[in-house]
Amino acid sequence: MESLKKKLVGIVGARNVIDNRDVLDSYSKDESFATPMKPWFVVKPENAAQVKELVKSARETETPLVPVSSGAPHFKGDTVPSVPQSVIVDLSGMNKIISVNRQQRMAVIEPGVTYDQLQEALAKEGMTLAVSLRPRANKSVLTSVLEMEPRLNCIHQFNYTEPLRCSEVTFGDGNQIYTGEAGNGPKDLQTQWDLGKWQVMSNGPNMMDFLRMVMQAQGSMGIVTWVSLKCELLPSIHKMYLVPAKKSVDLEDFLYKVVRVRFSDKQFIMNKACLASLLADSKEDIAKLKSELPAWVSAVGISGDILLPEMKVSAQEQDIADFAQDCGLQFLSSLPGATGEEVLARSIGTCEGKHWKQTAKGAFQDIFFITTLDKTSVFINAMYELAIEAGYPTEDLGVYIQPQHMGTSVHLEFSLPYDPENTKEAKMVKALYTVASEKMSSLGGYYARPYDIWANIQLKKDAQSYKVLQDLKGIFDPSNIMNTGKLTLK
Amino acid sequence: MALAREVYQAFEDIVGNRNISEDIGVCETYRSIPSQTSAHYGPSKEWTPLPQAVILPGSTEEVQNIVKICNKYGIEFKAGSTFWATMAYIGGDNAVQLDMRRMKSIEIDAKNMAAVVEPFAIAGTIQAEAMKVGLNVQIPGVGCSSSTLASSSGWAGFGPASIFMGANPENLLGAEWVLPNGEILRTGSLGSGDGWFCGEGPGPSTRGILRGIFGPAGSMGVCTKIATRLHPWPGPKQFRTYGKAPAYKADFGDNFKCYTLCYPDWESWARSVQYFHESDVLYIGHRQFNMFGRNLKAFMLNIITDPEKQLSDLPELLKDPEIQKHNDNMKHDYQVVIAGMTKRDMEYKEKAIDYILEQTGGWKHEMMLEKEKHDYALAYMTRLGHKNLNYVMCGAYEGTFGLSGNVWKTIQVVEEASAQKRKWETEHTCIAATGGDSAMGGVSSLGGGGATGWEFFTNFDSYELESVQGTSDMVDENQAFHNKYAFGPDFCRWNSDVRHVNGYSYTQEEHDEMFAKAPQPWIYAYQYKIREAVNPNHLCGSYLRTLSPGKLEGK
Repeated sequence: MESLKKKLVGIVGARNVIDNRDVLDSYSKDESFATPMKPWFVVKPENAAQVKELVKSARETETPLVPVSSGAPHFKGDTVPSVPQSVIVDLSGMNKIISVNRQQRMAVIEPGVTYDQLQEALAKEGMTLAVSLRPRANKSVLTSVLEMEPRLNCIHQFNYTEPLRCSEVTFGDGNQIYTGEAGNGPKDLQTQWDLGKWQVMSNGPNMMDFLRMVMQAQGSMGIVTWVSLKCELLPSIHKMYLVPAKKSVDLEDFLYKVVRVRFSDKQFIMNKACLASLLADSKEDIAKLKSELPAWVSAVGISGDILLPEMKVSAQEQDIADFAQDCGLQFLSSLPGATGEEVLARSIGTCEGKHWKQTAKGAFQDIFFITTLDKTSVFINAMYELAIEAGYPTEDLGVYIQPQHMGTSVHLEFSLPYDPENTKEAKMVKALYTVASEKMSSLGGYYARPYDIWANIQLKKDAQSYKVLQDLKGIFDPSNIMNTGKLTLK
Repeated sequence: MALAREVYQAFEDIVGNRNISEDIGVCETYRSIPSQTSAHYGPSKEWTPLPQAVILPGSTEEVQNIVKICNKYGIEFKAGSTFWATMAYIGGDNAVQLDMRRMKSIEIDAKNMAAVVEPFAIAGTIQAEAMKVGLNVQIPGVGCSSSTLASSSGWAGFGPASIFMGANPENLLGAEWVLPNGEILRTGSLGSGDGWFCGEGPGPSTRGILRGIFGPAGSMGVCTKIATRLHPWPGPKQFRTYGKAPAYKADFGDNFKCYTLCYPDWESWARSVQYFHESDVLYIGHRQFNMFGRNLKAFMLNIITDPEKQLSDLPELLKDPEIQKHNDNMKHDYQVVIAGMTKRDMEYKEKAIDYILEQTGGWKHEMMLEKEKHDYALAYMTRLGHKNLNYVMCGAYEGTFGLSGNVWKTIQVVEEASAQKRKWETEHTCIAATGGDSAMGGVSSLGGGGATGWEFFTNFDSYELESVQGTSDMVDENQAFHNKYAFGPDFCRWNSDVRHVNGYSYTQEEHDEMFAKAPQPWIYAYQYKIREAVNPNHLCGSYLRTLSPGKLEGK
């Protein structure tokens, strides 16, 4: 252990190698049901060269590395070591915004850059980044995009990987490359910029696509030390409308219509439990809101930027209102308990401290997967049935439906808030999480991001993909040091 | 060298005797001159090797069994669908050619905007089926008779509509793939039987080994089925045309408009393109669709759109001062199609175009507003069904330069490139004089904008050795231009490192020599390692660029 420490100190310096018991404890667990495992050290590299040396050294010593970029709390078990004697590679200190280019609408950032930090820098240039639903203030943008957290706007998701474009990655074998367009040029960003190349195209760089080796990988293939991101123009007009319904299925045709013609700049469906949690700051307010809000709400954002914004927004407002009317629905700027403005601000803004889903009961467990919009009601009905069987209060069950990739699929997310101090309730939720995860898979739910127990569920269903993934793991991480134990069958 | 009887019989047992042939007359037709367009090899006088047999599989299972036989006996194979490109043809003597024409099914999920298609489902047919349910498919620049599966899984796949519909790799939702070792890989949600809606994951995406910026051009086995994302089509359910061949025209109603937008200089041209990259206004956008350069395009549009006129009318038309005026007005131009999803949307898009023109000093080209010319351009841009015109002039076609990437960089060099091409048109006889500045390409090669690529159309005679050699010399000079401005390989040389000029595959030693010098050579070493994992017998030619990792020790 001491010799390992000496090596780590030699790479990142003594102040960046931490073995304080409390710190190690904090990295040994998260807010999920993942089994805690204390790491040996936490190291905080300051640049990509140190990351590369860390990986090379870890190969020599066969030391498992767990990359972490966001600040705590964590919720998916992916940052909790699965094997003993691991070293946490905390990249949160690498938080430089390397470049912002208005002309190309591109930004290049390090792993520790947060949404607020990035959005502030982009706003100065008249730009913004498509966000996932209300990220934590200390959430790493790089992790968020690399793990394919769904964006609120599916309309501009031409590629599944949007807004992520190129990256610098050190694979588990210790080699470092640029992916995408950047991989075709000299391995130096400044030189590429001087040549007019701004890391725009994500595929490649050649006949294979190495970005896809590290995306959704939970750090099990390598460590990404910068990514380039495609930015949007900052809206000069930004509104959100709310469409209430008694059942989720009543909103399907409406949402299909909106997404199909590519109107709106944000679009999702929530049940009242989820929407109340998003909007409220206390348990009491959540309870009050749940009593006021309609059972289901589709939120639709409309924006205009530099190109006749008033006319664009006005046209889409009227057209989308017509779509709603065609479906027998109301298109409203506010509902009892919520205004469109509030929903918009909460959706795109960050939350400080705890996760917004923790407000209701102190803890929560999510179940999310990919399906198509027309199948969501099957999963929702099944989930409510399972909740009833388990004795879980269905009025607390949150549901969030996010269209993605231009509406060809949706991210369907169930949230189970619970009181972590109530052992019985926590046990019940853990059991429900396990049973429901299996059930959703059996109904055709696809765990594209297979965290925790979902890895076992999903990979068992697809032996050939698992075999190829194992082959790839052997190529890019031959010593099996990168987040060892993740994405494997147990 | 004929196939051993037991091998031939094994193949025949899989597909039946009607779907296999070793007849020399049949096999000869499966050879390609590597100078044909889309091959982007550059002019050549050689032919690809003669296949030992041609096999027409009818299902994924048959493909898998064929590949297993190939592995058992060490026989190379390559699959082709529409055979537009030399990359579809084999690269060695001990090889069989798979012709995928029997696999052509199309299933459309209208609600979720996707089509599941087999290799020989061509873009024009998919489009016709999609339009019936209010959807459309992205047709790459090669045209509507190309395989959508091939452009999605096998090669580049961008086209005039990419700004709205994305390039086909962006549209790829899932793929069923017979790997070179005979295993079947189904990407994303398909692998677990959950459907075709997501082609990524679980976890890291295995589709990453099946296509990058380009597909592997048949070097990673056989893609047998894909799901491609479809896009809204607010037009009629049938693509009705009028007019006489080849001047087909179409009128889709008031919510479609096709304009030729013109600008005083390249700077304002680029500013307008940036506006379109930053907005959701265009349905299609392309420069110089009619394959005639700056000095001729207005004149040729008067010939192409009038079935009574022919090329011999050009000298007379060139004397017409009115057409000359039109021609002068469209030097820095591109053609766009806007499609109104609703009446209000159409009004907004019309106003947005006017606003952009106002901001950039541009104008709508008057002649192209004439109904017949408008409708011709609209039909052409929407279906890309006139691509045979590429070959009419000289019999062969190539795209050279290919100034790809940042539009602000390309406009700095486009005049110099045009002058270089023009010099070859006027000082040599190897290529047709197509009117100077022949920079042609989509307004964006990526969904939503962000990159462009300009191919300079070049017409030559592939059966005239002097023309072939001269064109090749021109490409060498253009490659030097590309080197000078760091544009990478000339379009004609994109595939020069994957197949010998004589049509045969490269050896590993030859590839090692090439890619050890790459700026980031580990990329090619990883491609080597992945090939070793799924193609241990090296049965699919040398299109996959690989570098022996041993060559990088210590680097």
